Amino acid sequence: MTTTFDPSALPQLQQQRIERPWRRKPPIFTWSVVLATLIPLAIVGWIYWSTDIPGAIVMTVIYLPLQLIASGVAAFATRGRRGILDSVIIVNAIGATLFTLIVLLSVIGSLIARGITAISAHFIYQNNVYVSPSTPLEYGGIGHAILGTVIIVGISMLIAVPIGVATAIYITEVRGRAVPYVRFFVQAMAGVPSVVAGLFILTIIVATGAFQQGAFAGGLAYAILMLPTVARTAEEVLKLVPEDLRTGALALGSTRARTVLRVVLPAARTGIITAIILGVARVIGETAPLLLAAGSADATVVNPFGGPIAAIPTYIFNNVALPYPDAVARAWASALVLIVLVSILFVLARVIGRGRLSSK
Amino acid sequence: MSIAESKGVDTIQTPAVTDSSPTTDREIEMSTQDVSVWFGKRKVLEGVSIDFPKRSVTALIGPSGCGKSTFIRTLNRLHELIPGAALAGSVMYEGKDIYDRDVDPVQIRLKIGMVFQKPNPFPSMTIRGNVLAGLKLSGMKRSNHDDIVEETLRAAGLWNEVKDRLGAAAGELSGGQAQRLVIARALAVQPHVLLMDEPCSALDPASTLKIEETIRDLSKDVTIIIVTHNMQQAVRVSDRTAFFLAAENEPGHVVEQGLTTEIFGNPQDQRTLDYVNGRFG
Amino acid sequence: MSLADPEIRDLKAAATSHRGDRVFNRIITVAAFTALAVLAGIAVFLGLQTIPAFQSQGLSFITTTAWDINTDPPTAGIWGMLYGSVLLAVIGLVIAIPASLLLSIFTVFLAPRKLAAGLTNLIDLMAAIPSVILGLWAFYILNPTAEEWQRLLNQYLGWIPIFQNASGNFLGTPFIAGFVLAIMMIPIITSVSREVLARTPPELINASESLGSSLWTMLRYVALPYGRGGIVGGIMLGLGRALGETIAVFFVLKIVFEVNWYQIIESGGGSVATLIVSRFGEVSGEFELSLLLAAGFFLFVLTLVVNVIANLIVARTGRLQK
Repeated sequence: MTTTFDPSALPQLQQQRIERPWRRKPPIFTWSVVLATLIPLAIVGWIYWSTDIPGAIVMTVIYLPLQLIASGVAAFATRGRRGILDSVIIVNAIGATLFTLIVLLSVIGSLIARGITAISAHFIYQNNVYVSPSTPLEYGGIGHAILGTVIIVGISMLIAVPIGVATAIYITEVRGRAVPYVRFFVQAMAGVPSVVAGLFILTIIVATGAFQQGAFAGGLAYAILMLPTVARTAEEVLKLVPEDLRTGALALGSTRARTVLRVVLPAARTGIITAIILGVARVIGETAPLLLAAGSADATVVNPFGGPIAAIPTYIFNNVALPYPDAVARAWASALVLIVLVSILFVLARVIGRGRLSSK
Repeated sequence: MSIAESKGVDTIQTPAVTDSSPTTDREIEMSTQDVSVWFGKRKVLEGVSIDFPKRSVTALIGPSGCGKSTFIRTLNRLHELIPGAALAGSVMYEGKDIYDRDVDPVQIRLKIGMVFQKPNPFPSMTIRGNVLAGLKLSGMKRSNHDDIVEETLRAAGLWNEVKDRLGAAAGELSGGQAQRLVIARALAVQPHVLLMDEPCSALDPASTLKIEETIRDLSKDVTIIIVTHNMQQAVRVSDRTAFFLAAENEPGHVVEQGLTTEIFGNPQDQRTLDYVNGRFG
Repeated sequence: MSLADPEIRDLKAAATSHRGDRVFNRIITVAAFTALAVLAGIAVFLGLQTIPAFQSQGLSFITTTAWDINTDPPTAGIWGMLYGSVLLAVIGLVIAIPASLLLSIFTVFLAPRKLAAGLTNLIDLMAAIPSVILGLWAFYILNPTAEEWQRLLNQYLGWIPIFQNASGNFLGTPFIAGFVLAIMMIPIITSVSREVLARTPPELINASESLGSSLWTMLRYVALPYGRGGIVGGIMLGLGRALGETIAVFFVLKIVFEVNWYQIIESGGGSVATLIVSRFGEVSGEFELSLLLAAGFFLFVLTLVVNVIANLIVARTGRLQK
């Protein structure tokens, strides 16, 4: 027996075409949309080029109302009275989206355009010791600031990650009586302004004198900001661990502690890593706590207790408003480095987070 | 047809199963012709043609996944809101294909109301607000709201239970009451057809009975099309029945349709017989 | 019916009777209270710093506006800063609330799925932009544009009190600072309101569609009332963030020690958080430092109250929606 092509099956298959009849719009619909788009643009273009009214005014005072009216008329023509409000929402929603995208594009675009000029190999690894604001871009770099950020963030991770994960474990695994309160405090802590976190560490320095401004103090301030993010994200991912795993382990005679440490946490490993990444992303660009707690420096500092230390955000802060083009260029370049770091963390968190979901 | 023409017979020949019924004398309210439905590339329904006579109750029965609910959603153009949905064939209502490009889906949905599987009153509105929600949502103007509220709640068999607390939140109602509230809500915009997608599947037997009474009462005024898994219910409430079936990995289709008494009493197809006797599905 | 009550056995205690578990539980519980400890620590340490401030200034520390530390006696009052923080936040909210709502309506109900996913990612990325970068951008890119816009606003709408400008200086205005805050709030408010709008139960949307709703009536009567609590909570979270924002405002707002009540495009305004950073660099001594710490305490209290309310609202909505 060989399979033969059966021609009689063909016409039956082709009998009906897949259709989406609701996408066929009556001509008046198409024309309304085309006219409602073109007419306001034409009028505005004519006004812009034939008069000397500033473009900003033309766009807001003339184009926006004109577009709203045109869309409203078009909507009325196609869908009657109730189409008008819909068109107002749609025009405004598209407008708000474009506005936000333009702002985002402007921020990212200006960072790349202005930051790229000062980027070079030595900018990434050299420090700032022999650099004054007027030193040309051939010299110096932010290697010390990158290292400082790494040290400070590292310290804050050492503190905030274990405590944050433990807090999440308390909420999802230990399930003590105080769970609602603990969650409440964690949420309240998430709202602490970064400058207040810095002030708090500063008061401890002033009051106790146990340590001074520097990487350790900066790391403590960062940890205050990082902890709630880690705790809340870790709580979410621990909740995703199937209950069967826990009961299964307990049924095998495992203690609760061992169940959490050997079964639940490994099962949620990628999720915990996401939580840590989000925590790092939350703090890495924070400036105010470092201004107060870590200070700033031009030289490379490695010792967490070795006095004021540089970091990327504070470096940017110190160079932004200086009246020297090269200093400003350095600020833009450091901002570019910082946003690249943030983006890497962001993408990492997304990729790992997606892996977690798809493996379910 | 050529034989009929040559004999000079000019009456339209209807299939045998639907022939002898009294309901065929009635005007046809709506009908589907050769409706096929896709989700993306997957065809889920094929060649469904059903006539729905005016002021009759038609039950759509069949095992899960045979496309009944999908079909009923094509009848008031809710189907098209699902991403990837597609459709061929035509759905005729008042002599016009509701999928014609100059037809406003909103007008169709107002004429052809729908009650869903899960009672879905608007939780942020009061009982009264829910009944009148359709007027608000569609921008329809009807005067005398108090009368509408009473009339439709009575029609839905809920008036006596809620008349003293019309201002209460709709969330306080039980499942059966909520479902009857939803029916009242659908009636307030004065539809000609009421689609019901397993309206009792989430309810207890007592509430189910109440809804069935309501359906019988309503059928004096509106055409009702009801999807149900419950064969006894189909027998109790419907005049006509269409039996849907889908073989594995194949689109669903109508195996047999006709008077409910015929489908349940004297089915022509072995699969219908098996199904109505509970041998599968 | 004289059955004796059965003895209620404490299963909870039995479940954790293993010794290792008890130690584990204790460690975890202690760690879980770190958040409380930190909050208490901030309240106590910064709260103590209000004592010297009140001792020297009395209540006028929070009711007047002045910062003359080197006079004898020194005068200091942060009313203008507290008010300024709120004014900036309000300006930000006026821009951010409609923008965020429309943006989330576009993402949830209008955009094709792929575009919606892309937008979601972009807005989340926007939330991750450090404030120092926004400050840098605002200082060099936004400032000139905003200056032009405000000049036009003043030229054509100057008869409205809030658009008055006597100095002719259109930089360092509350409007620019508020605009920057709006850019920081938009992703926060959008992500929350997008979530709650997307969680509108499909059966409610189905119901309203089957009743012939238009987009507007569906939003007005179904989706927005359903998500109202969550949206308000998101707005409050954004507000909390705006009140505490320091660095971005630092670059675009001229701090002045007089109350700018409503002239939002007049140069000069106030912000507690920015006051702290701007004075800290040139702090004159321990007394001024403690004044700044006291200001920080009031900032902490202000944001704490806003955040607690926000979280209560969000939590309550979450419960109602279940």
